[in-house]
Amino acid sequence: MEYIVETKKITKRFGKEYAVEALDLKIPKGEIYGFLGPNGAGKTTTIRMLLGLMRPTLGTIQIFGKDLKRERIEVLKKVGSLVENPSYYPHLTAYENLEALRKIYGISKKRIDEVLEIVSLLDVANKKVKGFSLGMKQRLGIAASLLNSPELLILDEPTNGLDPSGIIEIRNLIKSLSVEEGMTILISSHLLSEIDQIANNVGIISKGKLIFQDSIDVMRKQSQNKISFKVDDCEKVWRFLISSGIKADFSEDTISMLEQNDENVATVVRLLVENGFSIYRVEEEKRSLEDTFLQMTAEERVI
Amino acid sequence: MIGKLIRTDFMKIRRKGIWFLAILGPFGVVALQMVNYGLRKDWFIQQDTFSWFYYVRNVSAFTPFALILGIVILASFMASIENETNAWKQLIALPVSKWSVYLSKYTTIGLLLVFATCLLTVFSLGFGVLLGLGGEIPYLDLIRYCFYPLFAALPILGLQLWIALVFQNQGFPITIGVFGVIMSYMAYFLPDWLIWKWPSLDNQWDEPLLNVCMGLVVGLGIYLFGMLDFIRRDVK
Repeated sequence: MEYIVETKKITKRFGKEYAVEALDLKIPKGEIYGFLGPNGAGKTTTIRMLLGLMRPTLGTIQIFGKDLKRERIEVLKKVGSLVENPSYYPHLTAYENLEALRKIYGISKKRIDEVLEIVSLLDVANKKVKGFSLGMKQRLGIAASLLNSPELLILDEPTNGLDPSGIIEIRNLIKSLSVEEGMTILISSHLLSEIDQIANNVGIISKGKLIFQDSIDVMRKQSQNKISFKVDDCEKVWRFLISSGIKADFSEDTISMLEQNDENVATVVRLLVENGFSIYRVEEEKRSLEDTFLQMTAEERVI
Repeated sequence: MIGKLIRTDFMKIRRKGIWFLAILGPFGVVALQMVNYGLRKDWFIQQDTFSWFYYVRNVSAFTPFALILGIVILASFMASIENETNAWKQLIALPVSKWSVYLSKYTTIGLLLVFATCLLTVFSLGFGVLLGLGGEIPYLDLIRYCFYPLFAALPILGLQLWIALVFQNQGFPITIGVFGVIMSYMAYFLPDWLIWKWPSLDNQWDEPLLNVCMGLVVGLGIYLFGMLDFIRRDVK
């Protein structure tokens, strides 16, 4: 698989604190990569390193197969970004704000109208940004990130401060950019529901460490409902099930299996009873994607 | 690249009253002479100092003060434009090198100061002519006494820009700046090695050109130091 972004053990230390530790990020070409993590987990620090705003204490970053440290300017020509709160010059109009960026990219003026159209700000193009609502400023930030028709778009919490219809609009925009322009998109959020609806790939960061990175389908699989058995002697039961060709996990005092159809559950129960094991409880454990996420990011249990 | 950055920097100072400041500064310096000559014209004539030679030196007595104040305000202004919504992260994530961003800010302030100094020359000349000062107009002397302080003040520009860009809170750079302005008031009593003395063009050898050379050399040194520090720092 071709990776647009590939980091090797990037680490950022502030004094004694590790904000990000040994991160191996892999973002496949043309995909929407959801970068998930609770507040303060290190998402923004990672994104700042990807944009060359911060220098990693250790590790290397490759974007488009180029070393970021050595070819920063070449790389950034094809990257669009919106980091945290949108940056703008309040005393300038929306148009002038984009013009200040356009001059540096050296692209045609037509593109400003195009991106303003995309985020539906064309009718307020000549108004000062000072008077914009938070949602409009956010859209302006997204317009700025699209200005250079980037191949890699990095959006840090892009739906912050948007109303529900705005969120849906931005979500659709991100999807269409990925489908129609083949853009690779990194989108960070602390809300799983947000990522779940648009991303194909997920990376979960917690306390500066990447604790999960794979396609969202794999994560969904992990969030399947489980059937758990409470029995008298776990280990023995587990060995017995394995030897009978039934997949099961055991932990402390329960045996668990990924969701099975009713028939299979009945078979397992029958098998155990016939072989003289005592079953105390058979329970169905319902797990949503949210639970998996919470469990993953919970302190004690790091996967 | 640097040209593009300077153009955007000039765009960003639109509607901020910076141009007004650049006009007000030199006007203020000449206005002080209007008061001076308005009140004491007879005394100057009596003392036999009512001439271009003394007039040029009288004007230049207030130039350092206005110049340093201007530098302090402009440097903090340039920084606050980017600090206001932390536009640094947007600016540095553009395909530009950090040194060119720094150089562009420095050059923009420099060009504004050159503009102000040109105005100072024109205003002083205008008021001098209006006064009807005796003798031929010493154009070269006039230009020299307007522009020399600017070059001699380059180390202060380097210092102020550096601390303005490094500190988020502009309180510190402004404090240092005001301190510098006060120092420039008593330039005569300061030792020659203090950079705040240099714009006064005064030194123990009585050679203004020395201050200009020192300004250029030390100014370049402080500029490079500030720029390298700026490059080294992470963008918050």
